[in-house]
Amino acid sequence: MNKIQKKIWMLATVVLVIMGIIWIALTYYNQKTQNQYNEILQRYIKMNEVTSTSQLVVTNLNNYLLEPSKANLTELNHSKENLNRVKDEVLSLRNTENEFDLTNYMNLIDSLIETTDRSLMFYSEKDTEASDKEFTEATRISKYISDMTLTLIDTELKTYDRFYRGIIDQSAEFKKLGIWLMLLITLLLLMITYWFSLSITRPVQLLTRAANELSAGRFDKEIKVDSNDEISFLAQTFNRMRININNLFQEIQQKAQLEHELQQSKLLLKESQLRNLQSQINPHFLFNTLNTLSKKAYLEGSEETSDLLVSVAGLLRYNLKWLDRAVTLRDEVVVIQQYMNIQKARFTDRLTLNMEIDEACLEVQIPGLTLQPIIENAVIYAVEPREEGGNIWFRIKDGDNQVIIEVEDDGPGIQEHKIKQIVEGELVQTDAASTGIGFSNVVKRLKLFYGMENLMDIQSHIGLGTKVVLRIPKTRGIEENAKTLDRG
Amino acid sequence: MRKAGIIILSFLCIVLCYFTFTTAQKAFKSELELPAASTTTKDRYRIVLITQELETPFWDKVGAGAAEQAQKDGASLEVWGSYGKNQEDFLKKLEIAIQSKVDGIIVQGLDTQKFKDLTKIKAAFYGIPIITVANDVPKAESLRKTYVGSDQHLAGKMIAQLMLSDMGQHGNIILLSDSQKEYYQEQRLKGIREVFKDYPNVKAVYAETSDSREQVIAKTQDLLNKYPDVNGFIAVNANIAGAMIQEISRRGKVEPYHIYSFDDGSESLSLLNQKKLDGVIEQSPEMMGRKSVDLLIKWLNNDKVPLDADGYLSDIGIIKAMDKR
Repeated sequence: MNKIQKKIWMLATVVLVIMGIIWIALTYYNQKTQNQYNEILQRYIKMNEVTSTSQLVVTNLNNYLLEPSKANLTELNHSKENLNRVKDEVLSLRNTENEFDLTNYMNLIDSLIETTDRSLMFYSEKDTEASDKEFTEATRISKYISDMTLTLIDTELKTYDRFYRGIIDQSAEFKKLGIWLMLLITLLLLMITYWFSLSITRPVQLLTRAANELSAGRFDKEIKVDSNDEISFLAQTFNRMRININNLFQEIQQKAQLEHELQQSKLLLKESQLRNLQSQINPHFLFNTLNTLSKKAYLEGSEETSDLLVSVAGLLRYNLKWLDRAVTLRDEVVVIQQYMNIQKARFTDRLTLNMEIDEACLEVQIPGLTLQPIIENAVIYAVEPREEGGNIWFRIKDGDNQVIIEVEDDGPGIQEHKIKQIVEGELVQTDAASTGIGFSNVVKRLKLFYGMENLMDIQSHIGLGTKVVLRIPKTRGIEENAKTLDRG
Repeated sequence: MRKAGIIILSFLCIVLCYFTFTTAQKAFKSELELPAASTTTKDRYRIVLITQELETPFWDKVGAGAAEQAQKDGASLEVWGSYGKNQEDFLKKLEIAIQSKVDGIIVQGLDTQKFKDLTKIKAAFYGIPIITVANDVPKAESLRKTYVGSDQHLAGKMIAQLMLSDMGQHGNIILLSDSQKEYYQEQRLKGIREVFKDYPNVKAVYAETSDSREQVIAKTQDLLNKYPDVNGFIAVNANIAGAMIQEISRRGKVEPYHIYSFDDGSESLSLLNQKKLDGVIEQSPEMMGRKSVDLLIKWLNNDKVPLDADGYLSDIGIIKAMDKR
């Protein structure tokens, strides 16, 4: 059966049983008292009946003696029978208290009947005098019987006095009992009802609270209800639902995250493309101009200038061409060399570039223009502001399943919080000095390209220099990312 | 807070439980047993002791003795009677007892025709044995089975001798009796006269009065007027001693007179304590009660048939006023 229903039934049964017990007890007691009253009343009635019957006998005897008709005789006999019957009834009233009196009483009745009989006998023998004498005696005995009845009733009253008082006391006690009982039952019922209602409402409350939490969007709190009824079952189901929703929710969140990242990469791409387009108006013109300048410089015998111009043109082309696709590390290195040629021309011997390159690693795929902004950064911050110039070390090393690229300088260093911002891709550089593609752009593109975090590490000591370490995995983690990038 | 609430609630609960249970116990306690219906009563003898003077010290003692003996013998006994010598009531009680067919009647003898009729005719008709106690009636006239009580003749003699030893061998004495001329008083007078007969110097005057207090007072007054040189009084009927002494003390001092009586009057012992009576003849009322019941039951059981018609005499003695305290 239903648990809650069972509980309600139980409460109702308890109340019913208590009421029933009280009702039975009261009824029983009432009945008992009633019986006692009846018994006592009957005693008095019986005794009184003796008096009246005995008087009737005498009256009937008198009537018969005055008028000896058959009817009167029948009546007399009838009343005598009555007296005998009443006498037998009175016999049952005997108890230890009135034993003596009652025996006398019975014998008096016997005497009355005997006297009556004698009177009749004398009358039938025409001995009127003797008959009258017996009649007088019968009258006297009848009077004695009346007296005796009063005495007996008096004795009864005395005997039962204690009893009557007892009954009165008892009913007073009963009144008190009623009040106490009512108070007790009220208290008990209140307590039971409180406990009982709590056992139903508490789980409901818990459930309500849990539902509130759920509706408020907190899916991580476990719903637990300790009760032995349906609420517990409901709570379990609810909990399962919560877990399911939570899982779904997380899944959706993950998807949304992915979507978001995708969106972001698209935006970045757009930005690059925009810049690309911006600079597309003049690149060919620039290339041609640069090439013309280069040839002109060559023809004029300024080979160095010619080479520099070629480098600038190559860098520019690369910049425009490879931004949105993967290139090999080798291509990057070539670009860096071109870039450094230009910077060398600018800073002459203020800039020293030390390159240590493990040729075996140069086939690794890498997003285009990843290294150039880093080197540029090093040049801008470590070399440009310093009169005495600076050293830049560029190393490509083989580390198990990744290629380690290090760009080190001996510049003034970068502050700690700035490093953090850069690594997390939050810092948007608006430095005019850069070629356009900022540091954080590089960070983000790396992340998107490999689908991995912590690819870049910046170690910097104020006043001593900065070391940027890139760990490029030899095999790409998420091909799709690259594909989407390719498609873009 | 919650704990306090629980404690208060359980305390309340316990208190209420306690009161409920105690009242329930009181309410349902069935100590109110009606007197048990008796069943084993057929075999018990029903004996009635009837006296004319209920609730006097003397008859209370007779009743107590009788009740004690009845209890010992397993008979039920009731004491009936009239107050203050109400003869009519007394006789009615006797008749009721006879009509009630009790097993035995112990009765204070009353020397009247009605009494004799009742005992001789009615009681004999129903076959109820009658024993007279304390006061006797002539056997032939009442058909009593026996008499239990003092030898009134001897008591008379003793009181006369007591008078002589206190007063000396001459003097005037008034013997005051009531006009009922009851048998036991006659016996006492007979005893007194027998003693005084031998002392010619002692002059005994016999006077009669009726029962009522006024009459006794009037008679005493009359006697004191008539015989101013009287030395002593004997109240043959103990019940008139009180009124008599009241009158004497009104006249003068009581002490000079030698006043004697018997102990079966309602005032006898208190008068003796006040030293207004110089001495009383003490009978043994308890023994009378016991003996009479004992004899009656023996007769009913056919253990002792026939009873000695002359009677069974109980002890008598003398108490003098100085003996007391």
